Amino acid sequence: MSDNKNSFNLMDMIKRVLFTDFMKGLTITLGYNLSKSITLKYPDEEKWIPHRRWRGLHTLNRDASGKELCVACELCSKACPTGCITVIPMEDDTGRGIADRVAKVWKVDLVRCFFCGYCEDACPTRALRLGREYELACTDSKCTVKEREELLKPQSVPESIEGGFIVKAKFEKTPEGIKVVPDLSNSKKRAW
Amino acid sequence: MMPDISTILEVLLIFVKVGVVTMILFGLPLPLTWLERKIAGHIQVRLGPWRVGPHGLLQPFADMIKLLFKEDIIPDKADKFLFKIAPLLSMVPAFAVFVAVPFGDKLMIPFINKEVTLYISDMNVGVLYILAISGLGIYGLILGGWASNSKYALLGGLRSSAQMISYEIAISFAAIGVVMIANSLSLVDIVNDQGNGILSWNIFYLPVGPVWFMIFFIASLAEINRIPFDLTEDEGTLASGFHTEYSGMRFAFFMLAEYIAMVTVSILSVIFFFGGWHSPLNIPLPIPPIFWLVAKVAAFIYFFMWIRFTLPRYRYDQLMTIGWKVLIPISLVNILITGLLRI
Repeated sequence: MSDNKNSFNLMDMIKRVLFTDFMKGLTITLGYNLSKSITLKYPDEEKWIPHRRWRGLHTLNRDASGKELCVACELCSKACPTGCITVIPMEDDTGRGIADRVAKVWKVDLVRCFFCGYCEDACPTRALRLGREYELACTDSKCTVKEREELLKPQSVPESIEGGFIVKAKFEKTPEGIKVVPDLSNSKKRAW
Repeated sequence: MMPDISTILEVLLIFVKVGVVTMILFGLPLPLTWLERKIAGHIQVRLGPWRVGPHGLLQPFADMIKLLFKEDIIPDKADKFLFKIAPLLSMVPAFAVFVAVPFGDKLMIPFINKEVTLYISDMNVGVLYILAISGLGIYGLILGGWASNSKYALLGGLRSSAQMISYEIAISFAAIGVVMIANSLSLVDIVNDQGNGILSWNIFYLPVGPVWFMIFFIASLAEINRIPFDLTEDEGTLASGFHTEYSGMRFAFFMLAEYIAMVTVSILSVIFFFGGWHSPLNIPLPIPPIFWLVAKVAAFIYFFMWIRFTLPRYRYDQLMTIGWKVLIPISLVNILITGLLRI
């Protein structure tokens, strides 16, 4: 191109006079202007449901008869690289857990945890899983430590749902904080 | 001696018109900022403003409140007087232009049976007045840039003055072309000259009409400092040009002037080349002429915004090349051809 910079190119000249490049650019931007936005309307209308492999908030499971699977073996707290899990075992024969040894205290400091998942790998009874809850922000430093009672409650996305899609959701403001409640029946298959 | 009642009414009517136009112009930037951000969003496959009000419609009001309550910072070493007066100097001419801009011809007001003209004044030198007054707006820019005592602001101001001077010539030539076609400097006459359907519009005055329009359009893009000619506020190299040091309401005044300038050139393009308030075809429906003007102006404003998010910015020497080596020679040749056609 640089060799014949000064030579007269008729085609080029016509293109320039008719603004063809300009028109091409305008067509492209117009196409985008009319296309649908790819913005995820989180938290107002939509929410991302993660895959099962997602490592979110810890959850403590129960077996089919409702007994706690945790035997307070403390392997999770030993495996934890940051030492954020505290387990204090106690003896209990009322049938709360699957064994006589149950956790008196099981708590995790979410500020120190970096969700590596070593704890769930270490768990011999599969009591501990990193779940799919990811809205962990709160207004009070007390709520950064999650206790056993809270973690034993089932999470909003059950294990049976595979995840990896966007669902319609409702943005809820309550005095306890804000929550985005997913409507799991109303999913959108959309590239993410 | 007491002036008679009709004279008082006449004067009163002018005051009312000025008031209405000023109010509309003050309000107009609100929807325009929303529109600009919305169009930016959609072209970039985003949503644009969304959270404040339905579809972000209340966003401009939130912005306005923010600007009103922002601290009005004046740099220590700034020239205080010029710094304060510069935003007004750029805003007042933007408003003053509308004295000569017609929005329609005549309107019968049904109950009082009085004819009202939809322009503040039909000057016989309307085109000249508009070019002169809009040229004054540059004082605000360059004084603002100078008074800030900041290198970015000064460079921005200098650039804008050089740019405006170069493109003012092209824009004046384009106006001369239109004046030659219409045989009048009055904007009302220019519009009425294009009253016989779409083919009588100046843009279809072949072969010179489209060329005049392109010259006018490109030069007016440069006049109002919009992309691809927004070198005065080139973020990449000049922070934000002449209004780098401004904040709060003074900054808002500059923005106001810029948006009003965009409306002005949209209206002028419509008046000069697209038949003003005349409908393109003879439609038997009773559509008011003002609708056509507003629709055409809206289309132009959309086009300006569409271009903004399509084209990159020109380099400074390219800007000067386009102004002096392309637009001005073409306009000179075009004047010759137009003159030959009008003999």
